[in-house]
Amino acid sequence: MEKLLSIIFIYILVDNFVLQRFFGICPFVGVSRKMETAVGMSMAVVFVMALATLATWLVYTYVLDPLGLHYLQIVAFILIIAALVQLVETVLRKISPTLYQGLGIFLPLITTNCAVLAVALLAVQEEFTLVEAVVFGIAAAIGFSLALLIMAGIRERLEFAKIPRPLQGTAITLITAGILSLAFMGFKGMLSL
Amino acid sequence: MNNIYLRDIFRGIVTDNPTFRLVLGMCPVLAITTFMINGLGMGVATAAVLICSNVVISSLRRFIPEQVRIPCFIVIIASFVTIIEMLLKAFQPNLYEALGVFIPLIVVNCIILGRAEAFASKQPVLRSLFDGIGIGLGFTIALLIISTLREVIGSGTILAETAAVTQLFGPNFEPMRLFALPPGAFILLGLLLGGMNFIFKRLNVK
Amino acid sequence: MRNILRLALTLAVVGIVSGALLTAVHNWTAPIIAAREAEDYMKALREFFPALSDVKTEEAEGEKYDLIYDASGNLIGVVATAQQQGYGGLITFNLAVDSAGKIIGMRVISHAETPGIGDVVTTPDFQGQFIGKTFEDPIEIGTDVHTVSGATVSTSAMIGAVRRTLETIAYSYLSFEEEVIDITAVPDGTYRGTGRGAFDNITVEVTVEGGIITEIKVVAQSETPTYFAESYPLIPERIMAEQSLDIDTKTGATMSAEGIVAAVRDALQKALEGGDETGGETDE
Repeated sequence: MEKLLSIIFIYILVDNFVLQRFFGICPFVGVSRKMETAVGMSMAVVFVMALATLATWLVYTYVLDPLGLHYLQIVAFILIIAALVQLVETVLRKISPTLYQGLGIFLPLITTNCAVLAVALLAVQEEFTLVEAVVFGIAAAIGFSLALLIMAGIRERLEFAKIPRPLQGTAITLITAGILSLAFMGFKGMLSL
Repeated sequence: MNNIYLRDIFRGIVTDNPTFRLVLGMCPVLAITTFMINGLGMGVATAAVLICSNVVISSLRRFIPEQVRIPCFIVIIASFVTIIEMLLKAFQPNLYEALGVFIPLIVVNCIILGRAEAFASKQPVLRSLFDGIGIGLGFTIALLIISTLREVIGSGTILAETAAVTQLFGPNFEPMRLFALPPGAFILLGLLLGGMNFIFKRLNVK
Repeated sequence: MRNILRLALTLAVVGIVSGALLTAVHNWTAPIIAAREAEDYMKALREFFPALSDVKTEEAEGEKYDLIYDASGNLIGVVATAQQQGYGGLITFNLAVDSAGKIIGMRVISHAETPGIGDVVTTPDFQGQFIGKTFEDPIEIGTDVHTVSGATVSTSAMIGAVRRTLETIAYSYLSFEEEVIDITAVPDGTYRGTGRGAFDNITVEVTVEGGIITEIKVVAQSETPTYFAESYPLIPERIMAEQSLDIDTKTGATMSAEGIVAAVRDALQKALEGGDETGGETDE
């Protein structure tokens, strides 16, 4: 239990996937312009990352590892993630068209979100148990969402600020991210597994 | 004269530079660039995968049906990434350790899938090859610029982690550690992008 | 139907060809990787002990001990691969000790300390303080080794880890005898003792009745509260339950734990030497 709480605290704050580990930068920069889209992407990411960690962990532990096929890990994992995203998209379209409207466009983007593949690879590398791995996936996703939402909030306000032309857009977003990252560094050393 | 191929290379390095113009594949750019040698290694590894996958996908472009093209591309790219990983582990273990989890993440580097989709699946093999070389070079150069800056300002050395490491400013120099850490990476890249935008605006290049 | 078949077939062919290619490259590189890793390992050991001829590896509590033998079959030293919680994460390091219990070498293999600050533990300047020390040296902060200001957590963690690893090597593999304290021979009374914790001394009061430790109270310490809570009252409880100082000190705060054990040992030693009884004295 302690370990689970540590995992949650560490991967949301101390070792934030976006601001400290540099995973998921593309969607972080691309989707943070408006709060609405950020919220949609966050929900989709949490969902997919949780499922992805679960699925890849199971395949690694019960198929790849026993058969000694570690070198097929990358191919297997990315295929699982791509298939999962496709599945989620199809299911969502059938079950809840309204939700699909809101989230739908982000789902294919999640396949190339390095955070998803990273979390799957790291869950196995850190030798987590199944429960720990899923909690890790969710915590990392929440960390990503936290960074994304904060950034979206800031960017909405930046719209009204006088930013020099060359710095507008991605440049100022990155500089802001740098300041956020600096702030999050305050959590460093607080807790480790 | 192979004009069009040379132009492909120029395009990949300058006009369509994946990092500074297309703003793709950001994750390794920020994560790996603490030392020059790591930036160089990652650039070469990514370029290798890009070139190989561009060539293969281009050769197979008439055989792969549209509906399954994405999974096929993924398998091809992932296979090359795995091969590169195994080769690095066997012949360049230090680089392998330094790049860590970012080697497998080359698979989801938007540059590679993006090029496959936008270019290689539609263009003949030779052009795809040179496109891969151009973009790969552009990416590597961008990585080199950023990692050199980060290493010089953030650690005060060049070519650290290699045999040719040199302390640039003497042993008592305290570098701006911020640039070796995550916040510095973000800020430096942001400033560089801003600078690039300014330069391109001035030169009026589309 | 024909269309789906074609799609599936294409996918299958791509998959199979990729799989075959990957397997081929894997079979080619795997032996190269294994051979190189073994070679690097032996090279690292040989750097500490050039006379190395044979190695026997033992693992205990997640740490590895390589016993180095020369060509005549004599044990010439031990290389330990141990881990210690630093500031940013685990520090993995090698400690090379010769057969006389003297530290002859040290290397940090991996760490997650802050570059430019905590990574001072990898520098020859810092590590040089340990070379030449034997397990009879105190290896205490402020006495014969120093922390580095600005990196107190990282460096004091390393110092404690080196001391602990050296002791383990000396007592477990080099057949040095740890002085066994016969608790049953301690006269009744309450005794004070001090031992080195993570940052400073820990003072305890130990009460013995009828040859049995009945109470251990820490009266002074300046450990980090969250860490200290992991070893107190746990360690005194263990000592009293086993009536021995030979207990497991691996907690979330090993240095505090060992500080407490050292303090109790000190108190009992003083008692056996006829030290002062301190019944009911108020602490500072």
